[in-house]
Amino acid sequence: MKNTKARNASGYMFLAPWLIGFFLLAIGPILVSLYLSFTRYDMVGDPRWTGLDNYIYMFTRDRRFWKTLEVTFHYVVFAVPLRLIMALGVAMLLDKGLRTIGLYRAIFYLPSLLGASIAIAILWRQLFSIDGVVNQVLAVFGIQGIGWITNPSTSIYTLIVLAIWQFGAPMLIFLAGLRGIPKDLYEAADIDGTPRFRKFYAITLPMLAPVVFFNLVLQIIEAFKIFSPAFIISNGTGGPADSLLVYTVYLFNEAFKFFRMGYASALAWVLLVIIGLFTALAFATSKYWVHYENERD
Amino acid sequence: MAVSRRKFLTTTGGLALAAGLPLPALAQDRSIRHFWWGNPERDRRTFEVIEVFDKNHPGISVSGETIGWGDYWTKMATQTAGRNMADLVQMDYRFLFEYVRRGALQELDPFIGNGLDLSNFDKGPLQGGMVDGKLYALNIGSNSQVFVYNETIFEEAGVADTDVINWTWDQFADVCKTITEATGGKVKGSDDCSVVLEVCEVWIRQNGSSFFGPEGDVTVTPDIIADYWQFWRDLRDAGVLRSADKSLDANLPMSDVGIVAGDTAISNFWSNQIVGVQALMQDPVGAAMVPHKEGGDPGQFIKPSMFMSLTRDSEDPEAAIMYMNDWINNPEATKILGLERGIPANPDVRAALAPDFTPAEKVSVDYFNAIQDKVGPLPPPEPKGAGEVRDAFIRAATNVVLGDIAPQQAAEVFVDDAQAIIDRAR
Repeated sequence: MKNTKARNASGYMFLAPWLIGFFLLAIGPILVSLYLSFTRYDMVGDPRWTGLDNYIYMFTRDRRFWKTLEVTFHYVVFAVPLRLIMALGVAMLLDKGLRTIGLYRAIFYLPSLLGASIAIAILWRQLFSIDGVVNQVLAVFGIQGIGWITNPSTSIYTLIVLAIWQFGAPMLIFLAGLRGIPKDLYEAADIDGTPRFRKFYAITLPMLAPVVFFNLVLQIIEAFKIFSPAFIISNGTGGPADSLLVYTVYLFNEAFKFFRMGYASALAWVLLVIIGLFTALAFATSKYWVHYENERD
Repeated sequence: MAVSRRKFLTTTGGLALAAGLPLPALAQDRSIRHFWWGNPERDRRTFEVIEVFDKNHPGISVSGETIGWGDYWTKMATQTAGRNMADLVQMDYRFLFEYVRRGALQELDPFIGNGLDLSNFDKGPLQGGMVDGKLYALNIGSNSQVFVYNETIFEEAGVADTDVINWTWDQFADVCKTITEATGGKVKGSDDCSVVLEVCEVWIRQNGSSFFGPEGDVTVTPDIIADYWQFWRDLRDAGVLRSADKSLDANLPMSDVGIVAGDTAISNFWSNQIVGVQALMQDPVGAAMVPHKEGGDPGQFIKPSMFMSLTRDSEDPEAAIMYMNDWINNPEATKILGLERGIPANPDVRAALAPDFTPAEKVSVDYFNAIQDKVGPLPPPEPKGAGEVRDAFIRAATNVVLGDIAPQQAAEVFVDDAQAIIDRAR
């Protein structure tokens, strides 16, 4: 008895760093932000309880809240499918059993490594600015470019192109998934003389469905949380004319620019609910299109 | 060289001991932090002043922290919330009242004549740092709005004899047209100031109104702002302004502003930036007032460009005040600082600096002297939420510049939004 207790104690001792980190740095702040979302808090004085005021204001009077939802959905709807298509396409090209596949994999993964960095976002600003590389290339063909980033109708697409370019992580997962498809399925199809397109439709996609689903959920969550590229490209403002005002940039500015920590906390919880809803939606529809091989009826 | 741990410890310990010996135990660990927003030139000068201070006051060590304007207020807000503000912070007129009302700054009055010598300080600039009759921020430079122009292009276009101190908006429009024609459209007359609230504010005051009233409410009427946007729109349609695509960012780095990029002959700035603009340009620059309204009120004002404030979190206010005092009174320090932060408010300092002025510095000081009796009073302190109103102004103006909405309609929506922002911030 005594022995077990001592062993438990030493077990908890080893867990302690994680436990402390989890409660102090994760659960603690999460609960505090839930409390703050019902208050008015300017970060200097004490938080003042205001009940549901933040949420009521958000849904009934805050026009920029709806604008930021519009911008974010616009981004998610384009960035997620396009990035997945790109990732799958490249993964299939790489799945040909090339001898130098390791090298190619590394090269294609590179943008994702760099992607989160501030440097790339700044580079993007330069590429798409009115005197930038993109317009200089267009000028060679006699096309007069526009200020891609300063023009509110195109700025969001510079962000989407950046997202597509960073297809590395889902690509690696697709690649692993493709390797897992039994070769004999393709051999059987070849014997029947199945056209290539049909092989993709009837074998590759269904066999890959669980991986596609996994990537989809991951990418939806990630896309809703987009922050640094939008922040850097718009110079921290979400401009021009709020065209780059994705959700987290709005949240950040409410918190750290206008000192409305309470309202920003409320925004954060609403974002959590939105991401939860979309993830749940993906799961709910998955039973119609995702089949697991080892499933038992 | 391999140093064992023990050897390292004994050596450094011995050094620390030796360093501690000649000084009284209390004095050696006094340290203060100074936090400012800067640019490479300002940072160089400030660190040099810190070195001089450290040399003159052994026993107090100053650590300097600097960051660009864009991130400055974010970092400041975080430090304020974390009760970890630097002892001395650089303040802006726009934010001073918010920070005082949050209780983040300490009153300076108890130190006047008691460490802080203000006997030789201009009274006007001192006033700008007062909130509710108490001094919370020390002016470390004054400035005013300015239209900087390219003298070479003005000469080539034959408009060099324009009286740019007393000119009107009509004359300004004519100059823009002449310049655009003379250069064949290669250099446009001026930047498009539609998104620049600072210039619009001058326009509003010229029309006998003010953006905010004494109670902090939005008092300007939509018509005045609509007229302002219409004025720029007419010039834009005439093709004498910088392209719309480059005119939507109100926070451009200096190197991308029209006059520096070589796109235009006139750009708006604050007068303490003249020196910085000249440093980036080959052609000599001149300083013009924001054009006047014929028969209108004076619109420009002289404002404190920057302050230094003592924060609530300072643990050694005495040392901090010593540093603050040197900053404005010690000739060694003021010489290093020059005019980079604006015109100093101490006449002796100005006189001491005069012989060594560069041409650009001379332009700034001459400009400053020329406008003295052509400016109006400092507007009342901005209410809480003013920073957000500025963002809303930029958004509204962006839509006008892009032609998505008519000036009148945009102005009406904006004034409504602005009042809503102010109400919410209360």
